Amino acid sequence: MAKHPVMFEIDWNACIKCGACVAVCPLEAGFISAFDTIAVDKPCDVVCLACEKVCPVTAIRHSDA
Amino acid sequence: MSRSSDYDLVVIGSGPAGATTARYAAENGLRVLLVDKKQELGAPIQCSGAVSAHALSDVEVMPESEFVLTPIYGFIVYDEAGNPVYLDYRELKPDVYADAPLGYVVDRRRFDRALLSMAEDSGVESWLKTEALGVDRISPDLLEVRLRRLGQEVSVRTRILAGADGVQSQVGKWFGLATHIKLSELASCLQYVVDGVETEGLLEIMTGHAIAPGGYAWIFPKQNKHAEVGLGVIRTMTDDDAHAYLEKLIKDSFLSDRLKDLRVLEIQGGGVPLAAPLKQQYSDNMLLVGDAARHVNPITGGGIHTALRCGAIAGRFIADVIRGGNTPDEQCMSAYQQRWSEELGESMWRLYRRKREIFRQRDIDRRNQMLFETLSHYFSPESEYRKI
Ligand SMILES: Cc1cc2nc3c(=O)[nH]c(=O)nc-3n(C[C@H](O)[C@H](O)[C@H](O)COP(=O)(O)OP(=O)(O)OC[C@H]3O[C@@H](n4cnc5c(N)ncnc54)[C@H](O)[C@@H]3O)c2cc1C
Repeated sequence: MAKHPVMFEIDWNACIKCGACVAVCPLEAGFISAFDTIAVDKPCDVVCLACEKVCPVTAIRHSDA
Repeated sequence: MSRSSDYDLVVIGSGPAGATTARYAAENGLRVLLVDKKQELGAPIQCSGAVSAHALSDVEVMPESEFVLTPIYGFIVYDEAGNPVYLDYRELKPDVYADAPLGYVVDRRRFDRALLSMAEDSGVESWLKTEALGVDRISPDLLEVRLRRLGQEVSVRTRILAGADGVQSQVGKWFGLATHIKLSELASCLQYVVDGVETEGLLEIMTGHAIAPGGYAWIFPKQNKHAEVGLGVIRTMTDDDAHAYLEKLIKDSFLSDRLKDLRVLEIQGGGVPLAAPLKQQYSDNMLLVGDAARHVNPITGGGIHTALRCGAIAGRFIADVIRGGNTPDEQCMSAYQQRWSEELGESMWRLYRRKREIFRQRDIDRRNQMLFETLSHYFSPESEYRKI
């Protein structure tokens, strides 16, 4: 069953701008924000959630797109 | 050719890998542009800054007081219960290390800036606040790189592009390489720079699944009695994040008593690839270097030395290609990876296989033992790996 696309939301207060979420992201180039994180302005349809897991401070959450 | 190249080489990212690639290419006569999106290199810090003395001398960098925070004389490796192995080179090899340090802890802001400055001295042109956005191929011998420089879109033409854009690398993806790192191979790291923790010129490494599953914890000395206390975990091996493990290390571990007066001065983190080097680190007119190519020691997570070494290899290689009048197609660029393999890639692969053997071990006590022994041996004078 295809997964529902999700939008990510980042707790900018907790985020340490380390880029680990971008490093594990299997999407094509460009799924990034201006702050060295995964994109928060477009949906992700892979939904592996590796980005949420790798975050050292658990600053990433998602909801249905 | 409609318009000729502006540069022989454009390097994306001015960390240790990019600045060194650019410097060696320019020293060998190339026209080089080095771009970095940051306004201040090395910041926010995502690194503990431990680097060996020979890593610096290998690439002709002097250990300047501008960036050296403190000299390092050896290691202490602890097992999960807190039993230490001391590897103090002042005692193990007093003839060499009584006065000369084994390595340093550097301030990455100052270090990266010093490397940029050396590159500029060699003739590299550098643009900060310049983000690389993408690339188009104009001809087999020419790329157009799209940049945003202080808010303005600009493009430059180059014959070769080096992607030194770190762990979150996008450049490889532009060329169709699958560069993302598996969750099971990216250590999720957090460290505090602290006050109130005594150290003795040694890098301290704490092993054990209960302390840092899939990785290890560390205490590194810094200047003015400051220290770094941090750890990296592999999130496929635990439900808790690095932050939770770091708090546990401080409040509830064999170190708690020593860490009880700690005051946090800075909070830093990042991802460290404990992964195999990228199987293909080049494409037409392009090569990857440093974290972008996963040139990181998969046992220690150290990537400064490998970034510097690989930068020197890449810079010299690109100079040979351009000066030899070759078209930098994939075939031609593959010789870069060949050179890298011969110089250090093979030992990195051996370390990776060892790492995999450790973490595939299902019996946790046995795994803890294997990691403790491997790290103790790795940092000992008998290690066959001391060069990387
Ligand atoms: C918590 C932590 C502790 C560590 N401790 C150590 C240690 O003690 N010793 C050690 O040897 N290694 C350590 N490492 C690893 C080390 O930091 C890296 O391996 C090293 O920084 C890699 O260097 P690099 O030049 O490849 O990449 P980086 O240093 O990451 O540099 C990449 C540069 O590229 C720039 N960039 C990225 N994308 C773009 C773009 N699109 N356009 C323009 N510029 C761009 C970035 O701004 C950055 O300046 C640690 C890592 C972490 C996370």
